Amino acid sequence: MSRRHELRTLLRGGLRPPENDSAFLLDVHRRAVPQERMARYDDSFSVDLVIVGAGAGGGTLAQRLARRGWKVVVLESGPFWDPDEDWVSDEAGSHRLYWTDQRVTGGSDPVELGKNNCGHGVGGSMVHYAGYCPRFHPSDFEVRTRDGVGEDWPISYDDLKPHYERLELELPVAGDYWPWGDPHRYPHTPHPIAGGADTLRGGARRLGIEMLVGPVGITNGAFGNRPHCIYRGYCLQGCKVNAKASPLVTHIPDAIEHGAEIRADCMVTQVEVDDSSGRVTGVRYVSGGIERFQRAEAVAVAGYSIETPRLLLNSTSRRFPHGLANDNDQVGRCVMVQGAPQVAGRFPDEMRMYKAPPPEISSEQFYETDITRGFARGFSIQTVGPLPIEHAQHVLGHGHWGRALREYMRDYNHWYTLGILSELLPLPENRVTIAHDVTDQNGIPVARMDYSQCENDRNNIAFAKQTLHDIFDAAGAQDVLVTDRYAHLVGGCRMGSDPERSVVDSDHRAWGLPNLFIADGSVMPTQGSANPALTIMALASRLAERLTLKRAGAQGARQQRLRLRPQRSAPSRAGAG
Amino acid sequence: MAHRDFRSAEHLPNLRPDRQPASPEELPRQRNGVTPQMHGRYPDYNVLDEADHWDEVTRRLVFERVERTPSIRFFTKAEADTLGIFCDVVMAQDREPKVPVLNMVDAKLFAGELDGFRFADMPDDRETWRRLPLGLDAAARQHGAGDFQSASEDVRTRVVDALAKGELHGEVWDELPPGKTWKVVSRAILSAFYSHPWAWNEIGFGGPAYPRGYARLGVGQRESWEGDAAFERDPVEDTERRGAQGT
Repeated sequence: MSRRHELRTLLRGGLRPPENDSAFLLDVHRRAVPQERMARYDDSFSVDLVIVGAGAGGGTLAQRLARRGWKVVVLESGPFWDPDEDWVSDEAGSHRLYWTDQRVTGGSDPVELGKNNCGHGVGGSMVHYAGYCPRFHPSDFEVRTRDGVGEDWPISYDDLKPHYERLELELPVAGDYWPWGDPHRYPHTPHPIAGGADTLRGGARRLGIEMLVGPVGITNGAFGNRPHCIYRGYCLQGCKVNAKASPLVTHIPDAIEHGAEIRADCMVTQVEVDDSSGRVTGVRYVSGGIERFQRAEAVAVAGYSIETPRLLLNSTSRRFPHGLANDNDQVGRCVMVQGAPQVAGRFPDEMRMYKAPPPEISSEQFYETDITRGFARGFSIQTVGPLPIEHAQHVLGHGHWGRALREYMRDYNHWYTLGILSELLPLPENRVTIAHDVTDQNGIPVARMDYSQCENDRNNIAFAKQTLHDIFDAAGAQDVLVTDRYAHLVGGCRMGSDPERSVVDSDHRAWGLPNLFIADGSVMPTQGSANPALTIMALASRLAERLTLKRAGAQGARQQRLRLRPQRSAPSRAGAG
Repeated sequence: MAHRDFRSAEHLPNLRPDRQPASPEELPRQRNGVTPQMHGRYPDYNVLDEADHWDEVTRRLVFERVERTPSIRFFTKAEADTLGIFCDVVMAQDREPKVPVLNMVDAKLFAGELDGFRFADMPDDRETWRRLPLGLDAAARQHGAGDFQSASEDVRTRVVDALAKGELHGEVWDELPPGKTWKVVSRAILSAFYSHPWAWNEIGFGGPAYPRGYARLGVGQRESWEGDAAFERDPVEDTERRGAQGT
């Protein structure tokens, strides 16, 4: 080993990310984010920016702009979680982490929502994501040009690269040296892996398929006041340890320290627009059964691929009868999920796949288009480590119930599971609309999502499933069980350079509305076969950079003033807790 | 009692000519704690013995499942009678002790704890559950039975199998897609059954692991407190050897 390598290894875990003290602002003795010093803004005070949603996009954007002196309020429909009190080491008991308000799902291949892909509360879906944090590949930004499918992005990989690098330090991401896409290394060394993952890595290697450890947003070693992972396997139930990255621990503490207010349990029902000026003026929201209005100079919607279109479509006015940013009938279109079939294999020895984080090893060897496979684009392969309820769903998905199901479940400890993320293509008819006959508890019409696969999608999923089958065979599996499912959500308000075919421009600004931005995964024109969390954060990070640059030019004087830290004695909202 | 080695997979349905599992009656009986029907693949493992190592919030939640069976409040008596049998057939709970699956499902429906979506051609999950007993009765009548409750075990199995395959027709099933109904109700049933610590005992699951975590992750490795499978172990001899026969 070279001396440089030794030095680097020594420094790992000791490296602090630039301009983000979140990990050091957390308390050593409790997991909850300290809120005692949080600013409180009055509804009538026109804040610089109100952000709707405190997930991967909203949380990151709030931290970046608060650091630059913006007065930011984040309205989050769910609670401000206290991991010690609110979260449990239990599958069924984690129901509250998901978006469980009513929604309608249709199309010829309907997508199950809720626990599968929708978050609720400060931290958003990243509270219950597995923890995989891969980057997109450079090819993802130009699939139309390269492969003749999907859509080119109005930005390139190089626009996001510095933000990927910064976020990987902030989360921090642990993993092997990554040879795929734009090759790069990770700030934390790879985690140890369980025997089952090692067995499958061996099986894959025999087929010439390389699987590597990570990349996961899970501390490998203490990181500030976030402790080391304890390998208990409940990543999808919320990390009680604070080892797994989510905005709740990676960005919200620093946002609060720099004057942002995170206002939880506030459901935004409408973005208000002044029809005469064509500018948005703030948001209407319901808190504790009372309707309120937060004034703002600008609004960033970060409610993810279903709630963001829903909010825009429900925000009608005389000037915008079909909803905001929807003059060209684009809002809600090209919503995407990844094909995520899983294959479980049975081995002579016990594997006990409930141990260690579900995300252990992954491969992006099939990520890019290979025309010999008979379809465009590709898929990635990852471990998934299902707990008993999830594994029972898998067994049932294969067609077993009753005594057969019970027998398979008694055999649980001998099984290990791999999952696929297939890149499914953006299709305009896959769309989020409003289900006008169904309303939520506030009387607001809920979202309907329609989803159907195209031929390329089906071929991709079938090929990917066969590949998993082959890996299990090569690893010596005695029996396999296969189940079909989907994972993740992106798109629905895509960015583009043509207002006729997109909802926002390359700076996330809604076409025709100068102070309305979208800051979540819904802006993605395509999805690659990478888990979206890191890219959503990187997009929000870049958006913050664009906003501060623009503002420095246009409003130099005000910007100077805003660089000052907001006063802690900003007027309190009546009744705010 | 045939001695079995679980290194082989011959007990698994996919690998058997009739696609049916080996009889669980060949397993030892559970000796420590409870499993559903006392099948003892891990006969000396009781996850509740580890409760002192769990965090308080999780401990409260898990013990509530064991100690407080919620009474039926959402379903009517008639609905509950039919659906109780249905849940037993789906989970192959043919005798006590049983995980009170229907009571757990009922509690969630009564509290309005839904899963965050419904299929476009389906009603609200609560309505789906209400119509299910009517549909089961209709399907049982097509097999010549009076209703699902009075039907033979064979007819009940056929009805559930047809539901699982989405192959029910007529009456309720002309309005309610059977395949999606199966998705809705099986999701709730599995979530109830495999959230119960008795089911964790049966499958040898380590259970809640905060703040202790897991340390032994390798192939074939167990934590010192995790259960040992019952292969190659005769329950009679074993009970005598351990001096644990009780009476």
